[in-house]
Amino acid sequence: MSQLDVVGKSFPQIAAQGKANGKTKFVTDLVLPRMLYGRVLRSPYAHARIRSIDTRRATALAGVKAVVTYEDTPKIKFGPRSEDWTIFAADKVRFYGDEVAAVAAVDKDTAEEALELIQVEYEELPHVISPLDAMKPGAPLVHEDKPGNIAAEFKIEAGKIDQALDESYVVYEDNFYTNQVYQAYMEPMATLADVDLSGRITIWTGTQIPNMMRMTYAKALGMSPDNIRIVVPEYGGAFGGKMENNIHLVAAVLAQKSGQPVKLVNTRHDDFISGNPRVPMHFDIKLGATRDGILTAKDVKVVGAAGARLVYSQVIVATACYRVDSLYRFKNVRAKGYTVYTNTVPTACFRGFGNSQSTFVLESAMDELAVRLKIDPAELRIKNGIGPNETSVHGWKIASSGLRECVIKASEAANWNQKMKNKTPYKGIGLSCCNHVSGNRPFAREFDGGSGIVRIGKDGRVSVFHGESDMGQGQNTAFAQIVAERLGVTMDMVNVAQVDTDISPFGLGSFATRGTLMGGNGVLAAAKNAYDQMAEVAAELLKASTDNIQCRKGVFFIKDSPETRISFREVASQATIKYHGAPIVGTGFYQPPTELPDPETKKGNISPAYPFGCQIAEVEVDPDTGQVSVTNFVAAHDVGRAINPMATEGQIQGGIAQGLGWTLMENMAYQDGKVINSDFVDYIVPSCFDVPDIKSILVEPIEPNGPYGAKGIGEPALNPTMAAITNAIYNATGVRIKELPVNPQKLLAEMKKRDKQLKG
Amino acid sequence: MNHMPIRLVVNGEDYHLSIKPNRVLLDVLREDLELTGTKEGCGLGKCGACTVLLNGRPVHACLTLALQVDGCEITTIEGIGGKEMHPLQESFIEKGAIQCGFCTPGMINTAKALLDQNANPSEQEIKQAIAGNLCRCTGYNKIVDAIQSCSCKSVKKEGEHK
Repeated sequence: MSQLDVVGKSFPQIAAQGKANGKTKFVTDLVLPRMLYGRVLRSPYAHARIRSIDTRRATALAGVKAVVTYEDTPKIKFGPRSEDWTIFAADKVRFYGDEVAAVAAVDKDTAEEALELIQVEYEELPHVISPLDAMKPGAPLVHEDKPGNIAAEFKIEAGKIDQALDESYVVYEDNFYTNQVYQAYMEPMATLADVDLSGRITIWTGTQIPNMMRMTYAKALGMSPDNIRIVVPEYGGAFGGKMENNIHLVAAVLAQKSGQPVKLVNTRHDDFISGNPRVPMHFDIKLGATRDGILTAKDVKVVGAAGARLVYSQVIVATACYRVDSLYRFKNVRAKGYTVYTNTVPTACFRGFGNSQSTFVLESAMDELAVRLKIDPAELRIKNGIGPNETSVHGWKIASSGLRECVIKASEAANWNQKMKNKTPYKGIGLSCCNHVSGNRPFAREFDGGSGIVRIGKDGRVSVFHGESDMGQGQNTAFAQIVAERLGVTMDMVNVAQVDTDISPFGLGSFATRGTLMGGNGVLAAAKNAYDQMAEVAAELLKASTDNIQCRKGVFFIKDSPETRISFREVASQATIKYHGAPIVGTGFYQPPTELPDPETKKGNISPAYPFGCQIAEVEVDPDTGQVSVTNFVAAHDVGRAINPMATEGQIQGGIAQGLGWTLMENMAYQDGKVINSDFVDYIVPSCFDVPDIKSILVEPIEPNGPYGAKGIGEPALNPTMAAITNAIYNATGVRIKELPVNPQKLLAEMKKRDKQLKG
Repeated sequence: MNHMPIRLVVNGEDYHLSIKPNRVLLDVLREDLELTGTKEGCGLGKCGACTVLLNGRPVHACLTLALQVDGCEITTIEGIGGKEMHPLQESFIEKGAIQCGFCTPGMINTAKALLDQNANPSEQEIKQAIAGNLCRCTGYNKIVDAIQSCSCKSVKKEGEHK
């Protein structure tokens, strides 16, 4: 590849200036004339029959412009995957936080007051919170038509699992639990909805999947998708949590009924109890190996809690069943997954998408094998790690893999060998690896890939249109770099448009660590197309053939005589004149070389590229209190090529901080069916004191399917963090953590148990 | 509820308003003065996104009744740099300390209050200052770095103004 001018360099986010001086308009900042403020009345019970709803007093309150319930909706069942949603509860509420009614009023106080005037008569029903309890005979049914509360089942098997387990030198068998945690993006979910004279609805919201969401909402509202427009302004984080949610539809229904724009912003409490937190999962695992530490077999059962309706939990449980199998050279694997309805908030995507849960389990089990086999944990990973140009047990074609390099480089940077040899009591070091995808073929079944539009105006300004989503991770900046590189212009000439489903291409969105690879390849194709059109005009002006000219840093020139040149801006101006005002518009798409998995065997290459990583944590445990401090962190990640090293590092550091919070601090606690820590007073996320210095190492094997060789980084940044920390806790204390989170009380109790066993 | 008169000096400009006594400073800034740079992240004073400077000291605008600060000088993110970027703003941009940016205004205000008091804070002192400002994107490393790296620069520039 020729020399790169823009890609591979650290640029600040293109939106950073506006974010630094307060000018950026986030969703919660948007205002329209005559705008009303919406509020949602939510269920105070985990499970109850609705006997009656009386909205008369609320409707009569001065300043209230609309009060809506299920009766004001089209009463259509819908959902992103499984049609078990309604916009408001119809006959019963199924979780604490379920939508019962909503109001729109001239100000927040009036909306609040109106909520208190809505009278709902409930008949409380028995509820079920744990998915294991929900599967038991006689458990309360969340949906009457789903016996056993089973929402979905998933099975996968490859090789000869029973035989392989029998023949293993060692088999580690245990149970693990990963808890429910909340994304805690800093901007709560928010929506502004407006309806025009024809009835067409515009929804401004922070969403990772504007185009797919529009299709789901069209069904919910009984409208044609082209009568719904979704616009995505800057928004304050998502981490998987901002996809379909009833809040958007509630705002739309309020706007329809009131005839005025309605802004609906979740209070933090509402966001906790009605967002879509992580799917909690119970795991049973058997993991076998030969005497030399070659993995022989993996057998797991996963039970995940869907909450009261399916968002994406069934796909997440399926992912937890098998994605991690392609981290190592497994030959024999089996998994069974159950997604179970519970009377809890519907669970869904959170950075890692099930693979983070299963990586915690597998990488804990790997360390247990290492102990039994007396093999160094790093060596065990290197022995089994999947390499480049290999095909995994599920048919994944691993083009590039820097996994082994990640383990080696992280170990070197952390001084692994020395620290493993020289043990200090209550200080420990732990390692964990991870794999992931850059796009997930079976997620949106119609197609996968990415697309873009690149428009060049008369002034030479480049506008990039895409249909993915910048949730704050810097996606737009990466796209600007890719387009600038391909066109041969400087970053200040490129602008990235906000996603607007009326204008932007139909991108699938930002999830599955797909944005940079899929969307990046999409805008790259569009940039190539725009470049070719520009080059034609430039060649004419330079009196040369298009093959003999090039554009770099905003100047077209003849390759052999670089002094014969013309600026990109001048070419753009001449092109617009030549085409009677028409701008240069390049479009393009990327079709990834992926396959839909076989419905039976689930075999198939689901992603064009697979990122890998290795993280090493160091901890200190206070033997008297059980308090864990993470004192150092090294993270080596195979990112293909970092389009923007500074932003990539930022993703790694942020992912680790989130994983650290999950491991040591965070847990959504339920009592009597209610979330009892639904604010930042009682649900503590990491502050700057909790996060250590994080050394990031970028491993760049250059992925043949990536734009300029790039893969994604969003989710792999978090996947290994939990086991790296708990393996370090094991190293420090001899205690194996099998349930997240590790709070001091739990660790103290486990250490006492350990002492008893040692004495006994 | 009866409205009450109130005078606020925000970013050097005088505002005379008539507000309901139950309103918090955050809402008055965002809704009445349309200074939406100040963010609401939790409404309980636990995330720091709403941090503004009250007579130079950082406060949670979400917990401050507007009437409590009648006659006071308030600086929001919009007023921090004047027409130019404040060195802290530049440093946050250059060091990659901004991802989603929702915590950034509060973070920068808190950092400014620190640097105004202590021109060369240690890493520990920086962390103490921003411990009440939550960021969910960056893992804080780059934020601490941004504050540290501009501490001297900031002093110099302010010295020049004098």
